[in-house]
Amino acid sequence: MIEVSDIVKSYMIDGQALHAVNHASFTVRKGEIVSIIGHSGSGKTTLLSLIGGLTRPDSGSVLCDGTDIWRLDDNSRSHFRNRNMSFIYQFASLIPTLTALENILLPTAFGDFSGDVRAYAEALIERVGLKEKIRAYPSHLSGGQQRRIAIARAFINRPSVVLADEPTGDLDEETEQDIIRLFQEMNRELETTFIIVTHTREIAAQAARQLRMSNGILTDAA
Amino acid sequence: MTIASRLHGLFPAALPIINKKMRKIRIFGLALKNLRRKLIRTFVLLLLVAVVTGTLLSATIFIIGMKNALRIGTYRLGADVLVVPEKHESQAKAALLSGEPTSFYMDRDVYDAIEHVEGVKKASVQLFIKPTSFTCCYNVETFLVAFDPATDFTVTPWLQKKLVKPLADDEVIAGSSLPVLTDDIIPFFGVPFTVAGTMEPTGMKFFDQSVFMTMEAAYGMAEKSQARAIQPLELEKGKISAVLVQVAEGFTPERVAIRIEHAIEGVKAIASDEVTSTVRRQLAGLLRGILIISVILWILALLMTGFAFYMIVNERQRELGLLRAMGATKAHVFRLIITEAVILSFAGGIAGILAGGGLLSVSQAAVIHSLRLPYLLPSLPVLAELISGALLFAVVTGLLASLLPAVFASSMEPYDAIRKGE
Repeated sequence: MIEVSDIVKSYMIDGQALHAVNHASFTVRKGEIVSIIGHSGSGKTTLLSLIGGLTRPDSGSVLCDGTDIWRLDDNSRSHFRNRNMSFIYQFASLIPTLTALENILLPTAFGDFSGDVRAYAEALIERVGLKEKIRAYPSHLSGGQQRRIAIARAFINRPSVVLADEPTGDLDEETEQDIIRLFQEMNRELETTFIIVTHTREIAAQAARQLRMSNGILTDAA
Repeated sequence: MTIASRLHGLFPAALPIINKKMRKIRIFGLALKNLRRKLIRTFVLLLLVAVVTGTLLSATIFIIGMKNALRIGTYRLGADVLVVPEKHESQAKAALLSGEPTSFYMDRDVYDAIEHVEGVKKASVQLFIKPTSFTCCYNVETFLVAFDPATDFTVTPWLQKKLVKPLADDEVIAGSSLPVLTDDIIPFFGVPFTVAGTMEPTGMKFFDQSVFMTMEAAYGMAEKSQARAIQPLELEKGKISAVLVQVAEGFTPERVAIRIEHAIEGVKAIASDEVTSTVRRQLAGLLRGILIISVILWILALLMTGFAFYMIVNERQRELGLLRAMGATKAHVFRLIITEAVILSFAGGIAGILAGGGLLSVSQAAVIHSLRLPYLLPSLPVLAELISGALLFAVVTGLLASLLPAVFASSMEPYDAIRKGE
C-alpha cells in the first residue's frame, strides 16, 4: 500500500517558489491501478519521483507498505527501490550496449538477487511476446518493442509497486492498448500496484481509480 | 498454461528464486560494455595511457640500464686510479666508458715509479691497441687490450672464472658482445689467436667489445705483424698505455692521484669516480629531461582522461539516473565509473608496456650508440618490478582521472539526472 501525506515539492525559478507538488495526499491500496492525469508541467512526474524516492520532498511523507521511504538514508532507499519498486518511462530507457535480456537483468546488478534470475528474465521476455528478440540490441527494436522490454525489466525484481510515467507515449494506438492490457494482466496475476501518469484520457480511464493533477494540486478526477 | 501459473511456478512463494544457475549482471561487465559504446574515444584514451606508460617504462629501463652498466663496469674495472699519458686523458676515458678503440703509449718507467708512490697498494700495466682494418668480427668495432697476468687485478679475476689454465700467448679472451665462440681462431695484424674464453656481459663496451691478451702476446703480435700484416702494428717492446692502481687502506683515490701526478711528470692520474662522473652528469641531464617530459605527459593524460570521463558522465546522466531508479546506490554508480577507468587504464598500461618494451628493444642499440653511454639491461626481477610498477602507475592514473567525475556522477539526485539527461 502507498500512503502519500501532505507532500510538497517546490523549485525556485527567477527567485520565486514554484510548487510542483502542493500538499498532495492520497492512498493506493495493494494491487490497485491508479492513474494520474494532467497537462504537461502539472507536476505529475515530480509526484511520481517523490513516491519513488528519486527526489526529496520539501515536506510530507511517502509510506510504501509501511516504510517511510524519506526517513531511510540514501543507501537504504536505493535498496528499497531495488527490492520493491520499478519505473517505466516514456523515453527510451534501455541501455544501448546491452541486449534485451541483459537490459531486463540490469537491476540484478544492484541487489541481492538469488536463484535463477536469468530463467525469470527469459520468462518475462516471453511474457511480453519478444522471445525471439532476446539477444537483440535496442537499436534493432522498434519503439513498442523497447517499451515492452522496459516493462519486462520492471518486473525482474517482482516489485510491489510499478510507477509508470507516460508509458504509452509515442506509441501507436494498437501498441498502446497492448501495453495497458499487459499492465492489467500483471496486476491481476501478480497483484502489483500500478500508478500510471498520463495526459491521455483514454489511458487514464482504464485505471480503477483516476486522480487529476493541475498546477501541483492533486484532486480526485471522479 | 496461464501466465500466472508459469510465473508462480518459477517463483513459488515459499521458495523464492532459489536456483544454483543464477546469472546476474555484474558491474564489471556493465563497465566493459559501456567502454565499447564509443570505441574511438575509448581507443584514444587507451592510447594516451599507453603512450605515457610506455614512455615512462622504457625511459626508466633505459636509465636503470645505464646506471647498472656504470656500477658493474666501475666495479669490474677494479682500479681506483688510472694513469695515462697526460695528453690522452679524454681518449682513455672514452676507451673505458664507450669502448672507443684507441692507441697511445708511454714508457714502462712510469709503472716502476708509480709502485713507489705512497698510498699505492697494487699497480698493473695495460696496453690499448686499436686494430686496423683487420677486424676480427665482421662489423663489430673491436678493441684490443693487453694486460700483465703477473700483476693484473682488473681483468684476470674475471677471466680466471672462465679459464682452466693461464692464458697462453696465442690465446685471447673475447668480450661478450663479440660474435665468437671458444676455440674459434681470429686474426689480428695477421697473427692468429685462439679464443680461450668469453666474458660475462657488463654493459660497458670496454669489456664487452674488447679482446684481451697478455702483454707478451701483444708485443709478439707487433713483431710478427711486420712480416705478416698489410698495415703492421707499430709498437715498441716495453711501451704501455696505462697503469691501473689500487690504493692502500686509509688513502683516497683522489689523494693518491694527486701524489702520482706530483711524483711523475707527463702523466694524468684519473680517479675512478672521475671516469664515470662525466657519464653520471650526462645521465643526470638525461634523467631530468625524461622526468620533465614524463611529468608533462602524465599531467596531460590525467587532464584529458579526467575531461573525457567528465564528458562520459555528462552524456550518460539520464542513464545513471535510471540506474539509481533501478536501485543502484551512490556507491554502485561511483564503482561503475571507476571500474570503467580502471579497465581502460589497465588495458592502456598493458599496451604501453608492450609498446614500450618493443620500442626499447628496437631502438636501444641506436640510442646507446648515439649517446655513447654504457648500458646493461636490468635483471629479470628488476624488470618484473618495473613492469608491475608501470601497470600500477597506469591504473592509478585512470583512478585519479576518473575520481572527480565519479564523485559527481554518484552525487547527482536521481530525478535531476534523469531530467537533465532529457
